[in-house]
Amino acid sequence: MTTTSTTQTGEVNAQPGWRVGVQRFGAFLSGMIMPNISAFIAWGLITAFFIPTGWTPNESLAELVGPMIIFLLPLLIANTAGRMVYGTRGGVVASIGTMGVIVGTDIPMFIGAMIVGPLAAYLIKQVDKIWAGKIKPGFEMLVDNFAAGILGMLVALGAFFGIAPAVTALSNAIGAAVDFLVTAGLLPLASLLIEPGKVLFLNNAINQGILTPLGVQESTEFGKSILFLLEANPGPGLGLLAAFMFFGTGIAKASAPGAIIIQFLGGIHEIYFPYVLMKPILIAAMIGGGMTGIAINVAFGSGLRAPASPGSIFAVLINTPTDSYVGVVLSVIGAASVSFIIAAIILRASRKRDLELLESGSDGLVAGAAKMNDLKGKESSVTSTLFAGAGTTQTKISNIVFACDAGMGSSAMGASVLRNKLTKAGVEGVTVTNMSIANLDGTEDLIITHADLTERARQKNGRAAHISVDNFMSSPKYDEVVSLVTEQQL
Amino acid sequence: MNENVLDQSQIVSAGSASTKEEAIREAGAILLGVGAVTDGYLAFMLEREAMTSTYMGNLLAIPHGTNEGKDTILRSALSFVRYAAPIDWDGNEVRFVVGIAGKEGGHMEILSKIAIIFSDEDEVKKLLDADSAATMLELLGDVNE
Repeated sequence: MTTTSTTQTGEVNAQPGWRVGVQRFGAFLSGMIMPNISAFIAWGLITAFFIPTGWTPNESLAELVGPMIIFLLPLLIANTAGRMVYGTRGGVVASIGTMGVIVGTDIPMFIGAMIVGPLAAYLIKQVDKIWAGKIKPGFEMLVDNFAAGILGMLVALGAFFGIAPAVTALSNAIGAAVDFLVTAGLLPLASLLIEPGKVLFLNNAINQGILTPLGVQESTEFGKSILFLLEANPGPGLGLLAAFMFFGTGIAKASAPGAIIIQFLGGIHEIYFPYVLMKPILIAAMIGGGMTGIAINVAFGSGLRAPASPGSIFAVLINTPTDSYVGVVLSVIGAASVSFIIAAIILRASRKRDLELLESGSDGLVAGAAKMNDLKGKESSVTSTLFAGAGTTQTKISNIVFACDAGMGSSAMGASVLRNKLTKAGVEGVTVTNMSIANLDGTEDLIITHADLTERARQKNGRAAHISVDNFMSSPKYDEVVSLVTEQQL
Repeated sequence: MNENVLDQSQIVSAGSASTKEEAIREAGAILLGVGAVTDGYLAFMLEREAMTSTYMGNLLAIPHGTNEGKDTILRSALSFVRYAAPIDWDGNEVRFVVGIAGKEGGHMEILSKIAIIFSDEDEVKKLLDADSAATMLELLGDVNE
């Protein structure tokens, strides 16, 4: 859908299509990562505390680290992405499918989850359409469950055989390229590969697979190696997170200071990856920071005695030989400054839009895919004006919910009637569902309730527009909704 | 399913009730009669009605049980009763009472067809003018399909 609602600014329509597309893609990335940031933080804390080189090593608790990054985090992302595309059902199929990529490789499968999750949800959405409304009553559940189960299995198999090897190959290719650049002495250029590789969670593959073995070799010979600092320099991550702390928005801004502690002091770089993934252009800041750090170390001939693992400032300093202190410290500061400046410029430039996003509720808890489709031209205080006049609305309505107490009678009938009217009016891309008020989850754009229940519904979702009806069968308000939605489609 | 959700035997063209409570009992009795619910269901229908009116508009009311009462539902079924004289349903006129027993969503499709029919006042008029239960079933369309 590329249609936009009528806005008073006119700014939306002036934007070229590709830019809107990029924004939507960015919003989608952010939507699948951001709600899970707390899981990253939990994982980061657990890792920082309990791994053998952590603050309070604990062998038993450290066992949480592996399964959480291999299974939990990718599955959460896949599930969130799936929900954005196709609700709970999409989330389930996305999670099943993602298991295929997870089991298919040894590296944490974030990129796999971000590809397979939305794809799997999209597939089940299409498959459901094939027999929507054609199943005999009573068999819907059977068909639904088996369709999703079988499709989930197929996607998992496809991902296992298709996507997992592709991501593994990508990882190997990046490794080989880094290897080449290092051997050829073009060290700063390695950041071009290392930084993107890192945020795709290939950091360990790159560091422990390539850089550490080469570095150890160098270190035994010269007493130190710069290679230990290529990936493990905590500077670029610090700069990025600091930029979020000052110029970010919403949860990203609020969580950045904590993330700095986990990243810079705890050495768990993974914590900043989601911040880059949700705004991929920030990779420029990481590359800039990484290159700066490497260049400084090259200039000073500085390196580490042994791998800094995890890559915290403490581990780095402990492993710094006395003749390298100046270079190493400067490389961390330099890298942090450069990545901070670039990230700050990027965040400043997109701040206004991010704030709008935030106001429209797309930050934080799962925002519906429908809403993701329509991020621009939105205002926060839309509800009161909704029916003041059809042309003045800013919210594009795509998720209409009829709510009643039990969700089994009147709301179902009201939803049927409105759905029928919308279909007759040729409206597409608007869903009308029914549920009990207790199940409202804040993603609804328009909630229709019996007059007695509107107040309760409003408490569950204050963001949506609310309509009260007395007559579920032929409320004149239905026609208003139809004409409003029709107008928005133009 | 081997039994229709709405059979002609569950349609009454001239109901005998004259109050809301009687109409709910009449609707519930039909559901009980075809073995769709146990005799405990009626109490849940009355309880649900006490919470919020099931008046839907366009002369239609749809009494049904509460969520807690769903164990008393054996299978999905509807009853459809027409009244010659309007019944006072919380201040609204009701001529059609559709009793609902919904199990695992099996009634949803039929309910939605009924909703669409009742949203069209011409169709409601036809139902009012229908001369028999058979004609009414016909007007409701192939609701069991």
